[in-house]
Amino acid sequence: MYQTGPYIGRREGNTLPCNDLDAPQHVGSPRNLEVLAVLRPVPMRQRPTAIAPLLSIVALVGVVQAFGCKKPPAWEKGKKVAHLAVRAKIGTLDPVATSSSYDNEVLSQSYEGLYNYKYLVRPYELEPMLAKSLPKISEDGLTYTIDIREGVYFHDDKCFPNGKGRELVAQDFVYSIKRNADDDNHPTGYWIFQDRIVGLDEFQKRMAERGTAPFDWEADVEGLQATGKYQLQIKLKRPFPQILYVLAMNYAYAVPRECAQYYGSEFGNRAIGTGPFVLKEWTRGSRVILTKNPTYRDVRYPSEASPEFQYLLEDAGKKVPFLDAIVYQVYEQDQPMWLKFRVGDLDMVQMPAEYHDDVMQSDLTLEQRFKDEGIENYNLALLDFIYRGFNMQDPIVGTGAGSKYLRQAISLALDGEEINGAFYNGTCVLYDGPVPPGLDSYVAGVTSPYRGPNLDKAKELLAKAGYPGGKGLPTLQLDTSTGGNSPEQAEVFARALKRIGIKLDVNLNSFSELSNKLKKKKAQMFGLAWGADYPDAENFLQLFYGPNEAPGSNNFNYSNPAYDELYARGSILQPGPERTAIYQQMREILIEDVPSLGHMARIRFYLWHGRLKNVLPDEVHKTWRKYLNIKESN
Amino acid sequence: MWPYIIRRLLWGIPIVLGVTMAVFLGLHVMKGSPSATYVGKAATQEALDQFDKKYGFDKSYPEQYINYLKEVVTFDFGDSWKNGRPVGDMISEGAGKSVSLTLPALFLTSLLAICLALVASYFRGRGTDRTIMVIAVLGMSVSFLVYIVVLQYLLAFLLPIFQIHGYEPGLVERWQFLMLPIIIQIIVGVGYDTRFYRSVFVEEIGKDHVTTAYAKGASKRRVMFVHVLKNALIPIVTRVMISIPFLVTGSLLLEQFFGIPGIGSMLLAALDTDDFPVIKALSVLISLLFIVSTILNDILYAVVDPRVRLK
Repeated sequence: MYQTGPYIGRREGNTLPCNDLDAPQHVGSPRNLEVLAVLRPVPMRQRPTAIAPLLSIVALVGVVQAFGCKKPPAWEKGKKVAHLAVRAKIGTLDPVATSSSYDNEVLSQSYEGLYNYKYLVRPYELEPMLAKSLPKISEDGLTYTIDIREGVYFHDDKCFPNGKGRELVAQDFVYSIKRNADDDNHPTGYWIFQDRIVGLDEFQKRMAERGTAPFDWEADVEGLQATGKYQLQIKLKRPFPQILYVLAMNYAYAVPRECAQYYGSEFGNRAIGTGPFVLKEWTRGSRVILTKNPTYRDVRYPSEASPEFQYLLEDAGKKVPFLDAIVYQVYEQDQPMWLKFRVGDLDMVQMPAEYHDDVMQSDLTLEQRFKDEGIENYNLALLDFIYRGFNMQDPIVGTGAGSKYLRQAISLALDGEEINGAFYNGTCVLYDGPVPPGLDSYVAGVTSPYRGPNLDKAKELLAKAGYPGGKGLPTLQLDTSTGGNSPEQAEVFARALKRIGIKLDVNLNSFSELSNKLKKKKAQMFGLAWGADYPDAENFLQLFYGPNEAPGSNNFNYSNPAYDELYARGSILQPGPERTAIYQQMREILIEDVPSLGHMARIRFYLWHGRLKNVLPDEVHKTWRKYLNIKESN
Repeated sequence: MWPYIIRRLLWGIPIVLGVTMAVFLGLHVMKGSPSATYVGKAATQEALDQFDKKYGFDKSYPEQYINYLKEVVTFDFGDSWKNGRPVGDMISEGAGKSVSLTLPALFLTSLLAICLALVASYFRGRGTDRTIMVIAVLGMSVSFLVYIVVLQYLLAFLLPIFQIHGYEPGLVERWQFLMLPIIIQIIVGVGYDTRFYRSVFVEEIGKDHVTTAYAKGASKRRVMFVHVLKNALIPIVTRVMISIPFLVTGSLLLEQFFGIPGIGSMLLAALDTDDFPVIKALSVLISLLFIVSTILNDILYAVVDPRVRLK
């Protein structure tokens, strides 16, 4: 419909025929003005043709190409540069303040700790890194004496006199561990030292209450002493064999005090360690470039490998690092990361789940066409604990007379394979108990009488709990995060419970909100995951230890004196049959009590282009990129 | 003019206060202390209490709000809880990158939309008009995300004309990474703007002064560009000026898919991690930009329309 109004723009007749264009027009006639303006012949040079837009596109493409698309930067020419991906922005490079595994991965190429995992050996074994050897442990298991490697230097940086990195000494570890007790560093890992080292908690408390007074770095901590220039002594409150794993973690990496103090709050933007790579550039939110540390000590590629990794020994005994640089690019979305990998701009990726069916065959081997392209892969079984948990202090699901039967019924209603198939391409390993595959006391197969789905038995137990057909049971509440496919998984869970007559409301939270609810014991049921800090079953079993209840790591607020007693006994033992037997008893208690259900461990699919050598991806061991090499092109 | 600007700035104070109150209620009162997020995955009550004490969550709400206002007045929001960096530095770094993406996109979108709208209104009701409007509606109907996913795949992967992802800080080098996201933003925005501007122009064309111009023998081009476009500038200015706050806040999806480290993705990360200093600073910044853009809007009214007087 035309609007009423002026005749301008309204067309009352057909377009004039071309042969009429040169005919005299009544210029003053508004009706013809429009026609004149549009159809008046223009000189040939002004006549718009299809060539103009075509030329514009060609020009645009030319401009784009002129800006240097697809050309590697000049500094990479002739150098061995690995392009790797991180799937979240890097927040900080301060080892005590990391909040994601990606922060940790990047900083672990520049910083080092006392111990490290053997690259090619599984199950995991520790080896000295900045320590000269494994520690001398006193007979009571309380005192660890650690000799530090001599002749190790920090990266050159202006925070040192004359800009030359100084030698590492034992006092650096005293300082670095103490940094976890300083709130100003935004530490995220103090908990791992808590109640472990003699005098450290008292020191931390004193410092937290110091007000505006400066942090007293000189204050003595009895259990943390440099007993010589190159000797560190750690005294524990009680035996804790896992302390060696803790000393391999980023929270105990060696940090030079003068540099941390020189840069102050900006220290997280630097990476001044003793590691194989030096921070060259960090474009926040975009990429990190690390270059080979020219003063790196003589470290050799391993000569020891488990039988299945013997094929990775080609470079055995050669000095590392092989790479001249690593470029970490941040990808917050999967598509661009995948496309960059496919065009060869990225050397290695964690395969996004949505590409699984295109890339992997049903037996989890790579599709032939990818092999033909020279792509290689490794399926890494994560030390992972994905679960739904109960708040054991909740009167309905935790402390009530029938709560245990209710939890067992809920567990039996859930079909873990349905969730595995729908959300993980069927690649997860389902397991019972809290210890994932690969760790001491893990038992393969269905070992729990409460692993679902078994709806008949679930209904029977629900009736035994006092809620036949779900009658009388209030609507249960499940809190889960909005991240990933958690909401959809929760819906599947709710649907499963509906089959036995239980109503479940799903409350979606940001991860932060969910953490707050858990720490305040406000979630009745929750969905969460725990990734191993270190490769020991204790790291999972402590999640159910009574004294660790929220706000500690025991989000279940599970408390069972028998379990706690076993934990107290088992956690101080060195690995061996006695400890395994205790861990298995603990596992059985948890299977019967069902404080959590639907346990799964994921597999991470790593893919890389064949030009990258020596690849054995791992997520417990963070420092392995120094072993990567790039094949010489012919 | 200056008294007017000062008066408008003063009127902005209640707006900022309203924004700060809303943000404060949302964060401090409804959400409460995010201590559990920041003390690590296993905490003690002492550690949670220490966090609350350090960041003032142990104080009464009025005291907490007054502290927030002090931060607003000094524009010193402290350090990010997530990475310990000064929030001011983070915003100044991110804003430039976001503006690199959004400003050219706004300029080109507006320019293209005005041209298309002029053509459409000029040919109102005819094939050209209909074609432009159909394309505009189609453009509007497709999700932003679909454009990003499809065009990234087609133009950067299959036809490798543009970069798939990445960012270079250099003023020249960055454009190779910005071109495709800018083009996508133009495609998404031009449909909305063309339809809006067309309706403005059509309305203007119907006014008496345009008829008079034709009656006086003014050429069609002169009528369109001088009499129609000039008189339609006020709604155009309004539409452009309301976009100013969003220039700085960037485009979340584009920044994430193309790896541009701007403010959009920073805000999302802050919301996800309860990084209160960043959320509070960006909220205040957006409200201030809104106030400034409305003042600029009014000043530009006076520039483009002599009948408007700023008193």
